[in-house]
Amino acid sequence: MSASDRKTGGLLVPIAIALLVFAVLPAGLAAFDRGYFYQVANVAMIFVLLSASMHLVTGVAGLLHLGHAAFYGVGAYTAALLTTKLGLGFTWTLPLSGLVAALVAFLVALPTMRLVSIYFAVATLAIGQMLYLVMLNWVDFTKGPNGIIVTKGLELFGFSLSGRLASYYTIAVVVMLCIVAISRLSHSYYGNALRSIREDDQCADAMGVRTIRLKMEAFTLSAFFAGIAGALWAHMTGYISPGDFKFSESILILAMVVVGGLGSLPGAVIGALLLILLPEGLRGMGDFRNIMVGLVMFLSILFLPKGLLGEVSALRLVRQQLGAAWRRTDNGIGIGWR
Amino acid sequence: MIDPYYLQQLAIGLSLGMTYALMAIGFTLIFGVLNVVNFAHGEVYTVGAFAGLVLISALAPPMMAVLFIALAAGAAAGFTLERLAFKPFRRFTDEASLKSRAMRESTLLSSLAVSIIVREGLEIAFGSHMQSPPVQYLINTPVRVGSVVLATGDFIIFGVSAAMLIGLQYLLTRTRVGLSIRAVSNNPLGAKYVGIDTDRTIIMTFVVGSMMGAAAGILTALYYGAIFPAMGFVPGIKAFVAMVMGGLSSIPGAVICALILGVSESMATAFLSSGWADMVAYGFLILTLIFFPSGLFGAGRERV
Repeated sequence: MSASDRKTGGLLVPIAIALLVFAVLPAGLAAFDRGYFYQVANVAMIFVLLSASMHLVTGVAGLLHLGHAAFYGVGAYTAALLTTKLGLGFTWTLPLSGLVAALVAFLVALPTMRLVSIYFAVATLAIGQMLYLVMLNWVDFTKGPNGIIVTKGLELFGFSLSGRLASYYTIAVVVMLCIVAISRLSHSYYGNALRSIREDDQCADAMGVRTIRLKMEAFTLSAFFAGIAGALWAHMTGYISPGDFKFSESILILAMVVVGGLGSLPGAVIGALLLILLPEGLRGMGDFRNIMVGLVMFLSILFLPKGLLGEVSALRLVRQQLGAAWRRTDNGIGIGWR
Repeated sequence: MIDPYYLQQLAIGLSLGMTYALMAIGFTLIFGVLNVVNFAHGEVYTVGAFAGLVLISALAPPMMAVLFIALAAGAAAGFTLERLAFKPFRRFTDEASLKSRAMRESTLLSSLAVSIIVREGLEIAFGSHMQSPPVQYLINTPVRVGSVVLATGDFIIFGVSAAMLIGLQYLLTRTRVGLSIRAVSNNPLGAKYVGIDTDRTIIMTFVVGSMMGAAAGILTALYYGAIFPAMGFVPGIKAFVAMVMGGLSSIPGAVICALILGVSESMATAFLSSGWADMVAYGFLILTLIFFPSGLFGAGRERV
């Protein structure tokens, strides 16, 4: 196979995914034209983004993060409060939510990033719970358990995008851009440095990788994307309450990454789709939906310890099919991330 | 003269701390032998409470029988939990894989998954609302001691917990089971070489630890008169905090820290609303992790 064949092969899958997300799915949704399907599609995309951001910190950098939903909540509350108190629209709340969530994560990371393995997991659990308690108990500011009604829908520079199809496209564009960014972060030399920290941080340190700094960056970036997801959620649903960001949501996001395969971005996306769409498909089973999350997680750890799409096969897939960043020589041999 | 209100909060805090201590011991024992955190421990607490509730509503037995059935349910829960969520991941028994990150994280996640299944299963079986045991079983009759008003539950919880702690001390220092638990937690491979059945010991550890957790569950349930499927989550976290503060593998450390935690929490409710009082535990946890990474009472066991 010549180099030019590989080049076209490298574009086929991204084009197929883009077609699916931006043409086939909206066409299908428009054909059915039920609000419920749009809702499911939007929620699934937001959780794809959350799962991908979790993938960056837990899968690639190997930091077991048990408080991710809290940063998602920080983003959502930032968007909601900016809208209700300052009257800002989605155009401004989207980046600001990401930045505020990232700032909170940075402040949290300063003292805790030197902890390893289980200690770090416990620290993130405690911080997630503290943020949740703030959302729940600081009634004057966050309205506590009553939640906040977000008065403004999706819009861009005053141009309303809150119709069904328009909000689908807005969320799809934002999520896809974030996924591409996360993909470039995790499939590059940067991602490889994070993977080296995950495998053996002392060894990575000895080889000149600035472990603490890189871990902090990964943690902060992941919170940034979670904050973006929060803003999308707040403007999409129009109502947020602390219950959306509690510990079980962190576990749900973690389960998505684990089911899909730790360290594999396509896996994280598949895991998110599975754990959102499966319970929706099983809606007829009523109360058994939540048990399914636990069962799927348990069975996948037991029988598929590497996940649905393990890291090794995911990396091969990304290099060969999505490999815009994977550099090759003229005879088609891969020589490394760009 | 101290305000009697604070004395009262102190007594309540001590009995609250005792239930945390019972939970924390389960965590500590299991962490000792397996070097992993059992995230389903909170569900053992819930299972204990529900077993008591089922027995009370079915047979209306005497108080002691309720406690014993909760202990038995805890033992069964611990055994099942170990078989389901921990055994399948112990396929390799050499020291490197016992300490490896992959093994720890897979058991951590599998115990989390089991805890979700148990909690949701209980929710389907009993509904997610709060249930209350019959009034004659509640242990919150007020008792006046000097200028302080306490509940009978404060004494019962303190007494039962103290008895169980003494029993545990006896078990760990005087019986073969206890000695093998200590041997395995000291050095799993060494214990295996001298002929200790590590698999059996690990099961026993889960059984003993879960019995303590289930006892804490039924006692708290009868004290507050509230039983619901998610009840194990918060005490589980508090006990976990106590374990980390105590240095992960030190039982006396965990007990002392659990008491500190219980007292400071009940003191905090004197100044804060009860919603914010939970902050105390998380704050303690973060401060401990930052300033005393190996715990207040832990020997420096490994790098954090």
